[in-house]
Amino acid sequence: MTKKNVTPEEVVKYFKDEFKTKIKGAKIVKRKFGSKKKESYYIWMKVDRTVFKDAIKHLIKLQFPHLAVASGNDLDKTIEIIYHFTLNYDQPLEEIILNISVEMPKTDPTIDTISDIIPGALITEREKMEMLGITVKGIPDASRVFVPDDIPEGVYPWRKDKTGPDKFYKNLHEVKK
Amino acid sequence: MAKGLTKSFKRALWVYHCNSGSCNGCDIEIIAALCPRYDVERFGIRLVGTPRHADVLLVTGPVTRQMVDKVKRIYEQMPDPKAVICVGNCGNTGDVFYESYNLVGPINQIIPVDVHVIGCPPRPEAIINAVTKAWVKLETLEAKK
Amino acid sequence: MSEETTAKTSYHIPVGPIHPALKEPVYFEFELSGERIIDVTVKLGHVHRGVEWAGMRRNPIQVLYLAERICGICSYCHPAAFTLAVENAADIQVPERAEYLRVIQAELERICSHILWAGVAAHEIGFDTVLYFTWQIREKALDLTEYLTGNRVTKGIMTIGGIRRDITSDMLPRIKRDMQFFKDNFEKLRHIFLDDKTVKMRSQNAGILTKDDAIKLCAVGPTTRASGVKKDVRTGESYFAYGDLDVKCITPKDLTGTVNGDVYDRIIQRLLEVKQAIELIEQCIDEMPAGDIVSEPKIPKLMNQIKKIEGEGVGRHEAPRGEVVHYVKLDGKSDHPYTWKVRAPTYNNILPWIPMLKGEQIADIPIVAASTDPCMSCTNRVAIVKDSKKYELTKEQLHNLSIQKTRRLMK
Repeated sequence: MTKKNVTPEEVVKYFKDEFKTKIKGAKIVKRKFGSKKKESYYIWMKVDRTVFKDAIKHLIKLQFPHLAVASGNDLDKTIEIIYHFTLNYDQPLEEIILNISVEMPKTDPTIDTISDIIPGALITEREKMEMLGITVKGIPDASRVFVPDDIPEGVYPWRKDKTGPDKFYKNLHEVKK
Repeated sequence: MAKGLTKSFKRALWVYHCNSGSCNGCDIEIIAALCPRYDVERFGIRLVGTPRHADVLLVTGPVTRQMVDKVKRIYEQMPDPKAVICVGNCGNTGDVFYESYNLVGPINQIIPVDVHVIGCPPRPEAIINAVTKAWVKLETLEAKK
Repeated sequence: MSEETTAKTSYHIPVGPIHPALKEPVYFEFELSGERIIDVTVKLGHVHRGVEWAGMRRNPIQVLYLAERICGICSYCHPAAFTLAVENAADIQVPERAEYLRVIQAELERICSHILWAGVAAHEIGFDTVLYFTWQIREKALDLTEYLTGNRVTKGIMTIGGIRRDITSDMLPRIKRDMQFFKDNFEKLRHIFLDDKTVKMRSQNAGILTKDDAIKLCAVGPTTRASGVKKDVRTGESYFAYGDLDVKCITPKDLTGTVNGDVYDRIIQRLLEVKQAIELIEQCIDEMPAGDIVSEPKIPKLMNQIKKIEGEGVGRHEAPRGEVVHYVKLDGKSDHPYTWKVRAPTYNNILPWIPMLKGEQIADIPIVAASTDPCMSCTNRVAIVKDSKKYELTKEQLHNLSIQKTRRLMK
């Protein structure tokens, strides 16, 4: 069922048909660039945590995507992870950027890994684990990527609550008298 | 050449470069100083691969936690007389990285620095000027012996 | 995998231009059997300065200056992707002339970066004279950059809603003259790199990345295009003025007819991209419309506009090394971005090192690793490869091994 060239409306319909109410907030944004006003397409979708891995498998059946990166937000009581995929990358001016976001509560921050179906996701998942304190179930290598070992477990640089790295803050401009 | 050069430093200056977490902008300008346009090798200055042979240490970058011990170790491995040149704004004051959880102070809080070169990145001419100033310092150190 | 190991020490192999100055703090650990590599493990993280954390405490104009200093070699592409993300989140329309100017600056940076890489690759093989020759050509490109923007390396030319400096009509003859200079020297570069017997012997069939691996591991940039995958942000997505221009996705098939995915193909790929960049700059100069260069010249008004926006945006740009992605979330309460995520291109090109290096000899490590053009400060990687027999090999020894292999082949 792989299609070479999909339109944004087809992608949204494809997901909604399979997962119905587990997909929320599907939004297509089109922006124009340049003198000839050619369009770029962005899709934003929220997927429920329980069907996340099935949704990715469903996406691969349509077309093997390119995973750009996964970014994360600390929203007070929940943590949101957004996976940025692109489709149609070899079709001129038809590339679609698909942003799938998954929310999880801070009391149970776990998500399934996708590095067994998309091996290129390994490093970005490890980075989310150390920066936001989530647990990725089934990841083959859970070691740290950027944060050094001097900074202990339990300190998460991107969080805005008390587990942030403020204890290790240093101001290089200050002059000690 | 710079004023104050006596003839006591009887060999060409060997320089070792250490990157303690910089963006590589200063490092490119250091290599550009070796290329035919600025050609610092005509003075006999050359880059060596180990600190044990070096007279001058060129350090760039705000020092990250992972690199602190390495910078100190490199400084200790260099034989006397030695001079340290800190290239670029990051190592001197922190520049844009003035607040961070992973950076440990400007370089002069870790090893003593003799010449500061400011600029982001400094032009190759400024780097060559700094090396000649370090040369003058080494000459005075050698003459005192 | 047998575990009969004795003393374990690790290799420290700084990858990157290994002329003693450009040591990027990268470590590799290899598992060896004799001279052949069996397994490669990658361990990262050395130039981590907490840039994303700092960006959450500054307003967008300050973040632009911070983004420029993430990497000195690709110092245009990070501000470019960041402004694209903010403009997508805040729905700011950029004037047409500014979009063409942005393309000119991007392609000029691409020329500088690819020529820098060509010199470094030559140095890895052992041809130092070629390093000096290519960097001399690069000085001309840096002179042009200084003429247009004011500085050689960190240009400071991007701003949200447009670009800071215009290219007036009296600057055009100089640009045309310099493009002609690059075209004349391009043939010389092509002859040095692609017709030389020793370069072919060192680089053909070394460090092969198959098309399948490149797709599965999500590789980006010239590394993946040299394996036959047509991934290029400039042709896929319409951003800046690339949608108007005649940009094609180049693969080595255009020159040689076949795609092997080895180091030789990557050299071909980058040289062809330099040629494409020169043609794009000339096309832009001819087709650039007149008009404003920035949508909102007064910065306080721009800041007030951004302060009220609530939204998120993704900005992607094709840097010389691959695709740069920035994600920005604005929360409408202050002008600091709520979240800022940076993903530099080398990030995605680390995992492909593993299939590329398996089966190679130690002497090939510098050239294979350098052929993906890693930019460590973008990536903060310390690659430590686990070895069943770890021992310490300094960068000098690795580099010497590489040069010795070249001398052997030249006989």
